[in-house]
Amino acid sequence: MANQRVGETGLSASGPSNQAFGYGTHGHGIPSSATNFFDQEGASYFGELEALMQGVVGIRSDGDQKVAAAAAAAAFVTNRPPTLEIFPSWPMRFQQIPRGNSLSTESTDSGSAQNTISQLGSDSPVSKKTSSDQSSEQQQHQQQQQLQEQQEMMVSDVSRTGTEAAAATNHQSRPQEKRRVAGVRDGRTLDAKTLRRLAQNREAAKKSRLRKKAYVQQLESSRIKLTQLEQDLHRARSQGFLLQTSAGASANMSSGAAMFDMEYARWLDESLKNMTELRAGLQAHLCDTDLRIIVDECLTHYDEFFRLRGIAAKTDVFHLITGMWTTPAERCFLWMGGFRPSELLKVLMPQLDPVTEQQLVMICNLQQSSTQAEEALSQGLEQLQHSLADTVASGALSVGDYVGNYMGHMSMALDKLANLEGFVRQADNLRQQTLHQLRRILTIRQAARCFLAIGEYYNRLRALSSLWASRPRENIFVPDEGTCPTTTSDMQVIHHQIPSHFSAF
Amino acid sequence: METIERLAAENAVVIFSMSSCCMCHAIKHLFAGMGVSPAIHELDEDPRGKDMELALTSLLGPSTASPVPTVFIGGKLIGSMDTVMSLHINGSLVPLLMEAGALWL
Repeated sequence: MANQRVGETGLSASGPSNQAFGYGTHGHGIPSSATNFFDQEGASYFGELEALMQGVVGIRSDGDQKVAAAAAAAAFVTNRPPTLEIFPSWPMRFQQIPRGNSLSTESTDSGSAQNTISQLGSDSPVSKKTSSDQSSEQQQHQQQQQLQEQQEMMVSDVSRTGTEAAAATNHQSRPQEKRRVAGVRDGRTLDAKTLRRLAQNREAAKKSRLRKKAYVQQLESSRIKLTQLEQDLHRARSQGFLLQTSAGASANMSSGAAMFDMEYARWLDESLKNMTELRAGLQAHLCDTDLRIIVDECLTHYDEFFRLRGIAAKTDVFHLITGMWTTPAERCFLWMGGFRPSELLKVLMPQLDPVTEQQLVMICNLQQSSTQAEEALSQGLEQLQHSLADTVASGALSVGDYVGNYMGHMSMALDKLANLEGFVRQADNLRQQTLHQLRRILTIRQAARCFLAIGEYYNRLRALSSLWASRPRENIFVPDEGTCPTTTSDMQVIHHQIPSHFSAF
Repeated sequence: METIERLAAENAVVIFSMSSCCMCHAIKHLFAGMGVSPAIHELDEDPRGKDMELALTSLLGPSTASPVPTVFIGGKLIGSMDTVMSLHINGSLVPLLMEAGALWL
């Protein structure tokens, strides 16, 4: 009753100050300094707060305790700078003010708000009892409900969007909403709905900003991770995981290289079959006609190998010329991306015995001509290298106008690089011709033994590569001697000496 | 074309080359290693070079990658580097050279 009267007297269109005065008289203790604050534009929210505070005060009929609390809170409000207009839940709560009898306390600090609310919460049943007016009791009932709801809301996440809270409060307070009371200040009429909407927008914007920021950060970190993975993969590939597999089944840089490796692996399997046949044929002492078929099959198989090489030279010459298609031990003897014919002949000569003199002469001639051809090709390649080096280094390398004709020089260098394919092709041609000539010089049985010998020689080189790759190695980074995983006795001798060198680790 | 034929007939071994071509350098080295001194015509230094290039391309056929180096022995077209090498490996190059008078035993 008294409250209602106060609420009515508090109504005016001129601003919260009247309300404040109205409540001030009721509450006996509002510092007059509070009113100065309301003159400021920016104090609109604080005026609101002030009104709410007054509402709290209005409810209390207990006395000085509450008044003091309210006064303290009001003082707290006035002392704060007018910058903290960012409490999304305010306008929502604001509609709970109706007639200024709001139970909610919106202080500038949500923590203290919760404290005061809990204070109120504990007090509201008390105030409920003290009210004598039936209608005001009912009002207070409703308001207590609102308070409790608001308590829950205040305790819950402050950054929650205001929609749900607003909906809840809407639902509860709509019947009680008095538009006249809410938010009349500074000449601007902002009804509760607008305020609520504004607050919700603010909250939503803030939330989406935070979400966007988190998402962008996630993207950035994933991108960094991805580039690191790519670098690792590239490094691993270039270091050549060919050690593990014999037939280059590991990842390759280019598709041409991968294709060749695949084809080469298949070719190797076929050539093993050929070798088995040759061996069986020789041991079974097949007649020449039968053996001839097998030998010719072998030769055709080599032609197939050179055909594959021709395709690979077109697609990825570097894969061939660097020897990445083959095993490490074979790579020791690499010449122009493959075996050196004269070297192979040197290996084969003792295997072909007995040979006739004529055959010996022919073999020697073959060796000589292949050596000459190899020399010529090597010379040509060397000139290509010099020319390429000159082109890449043309123009100043360190200081000066080296930017000048960069692309011009680069395109010249590219043209020169293209000649590499020609050299690899000629080298392959040399190898193929050598094999064919061998076939012509030798008898069938000799040829069978010859091809078997070639196959077996490279098999052994490949086996050597695998053995080398899987040989027991000391872990030289082990600081203490006991954990070294060596298995051979030879290694152990060295092993004991090494840790002393690396004791610093 | 006539220039080519004329030039090819002038010497026992005639090589059409280009100073910048590395394969030409290789083939020159091959002949020098065998003791042959061929007549070398650098097409990039000849005013009629372009025409001669075209003529050589038509002579060699569509499958060859480059018109140079091209070798004539005894006035007859032998071919490019791979032909020369094949001949050398199977032992027929030296007899050819001897026949043309470029080599003596």
